Amino acid sequence: MPGLAHFLILGAALFCLGTFGALARRNAVVVLMSIELMLNGLNITFVAFNRYLAPSFGPAASAWAGQVFALFIIAVAAAEAALGLAIVIAVYRLRHTVQVDQIDLMRG
Amino acid sequence: MSEAIYTAAFYVFGLAAVVGALGTVAARRLIHNALFLVLALASAAALYVLLSADFVAVVQILVYTGAIMILLLFALMLTPQQVELPATAPAGQQLAAALVAVVLFGLIVAAVLTGPWRQAVVPLNAPTSAPLGTALLTTYVFPFELVSLVLLVGLIGALLLARES
Repeated sequence: MPGLAHFLILGAALFCLGTFGALARRNAVVVLMSIELMLNGLNITFVAFNRYLAPSFGPAASAWAGQVFALFIIAVAAAEAALGLAIVIAVYRLRHTVQVDQIDLMRG
Repeated sequence: MSEAIYTAAFYVFGLAAVVGALGTVAARRLIHNALFLVLALASAAALYVLLSADFVAVVQILVYTGAIMILLLFALMLTPQQVELPATAPAGQQLAAALVAVVLFGLIVAAVLTGPWRQAVVPLNAPTSAPLGTALLTTYVFPFELVSLVLLVGLIGALLLARES
């Protein structure tokens, strides 16, 4: 029967795979996708904590903190994806590339 | 019987999520990356259902796989690139990234397995929308209003940044 540790390890696996993708891929859109993957790993961790560590699923506010936090992470991830992709599109319009190693105007 | 179904569902959707994550970071064609991410996000929604978070699961499907993935696909289609450009960083950087990811995973697993977690074993079998709505409008009303402000700023910023002029 999967317990808290199973879900936490699964969330950690998603988070670490997203970290690898954000560090090792050159396309800016794929880097943004990896960051979304990391946020999903976080969400799984939060909801797992809510399910297994909440004092009781009652009216006490801290019983829902994990799921509320997950909802806020989803909302902030949507805003961050929109802004990040707007930046990528603006950069593409100027430089005609989205490879992160070719966008180096500010490099010393 | 239901324990067996729960265990089987966890492993099936957990495997689908990990396969989706691997495909997102390792696929060569950009559309394949996006489709693997859709698999990972949908599997995460199924896992939320297993964790008695039905409202978060539906919001995940609506917002993440419905809206954010469409946004990512649009961005992929609006930034076409030559296919012979290298998709991944040089081998040294890839090795360092893999090392960072593996060490981080090891640390988190060690922390998870040695922590004295106290656990509730009774799952909730009732809809969570009403208690979540109450919590959002009473205890968490300040973050709720701030998140709407964040979304407004994101909307205006994205419009300004992506304009043609």
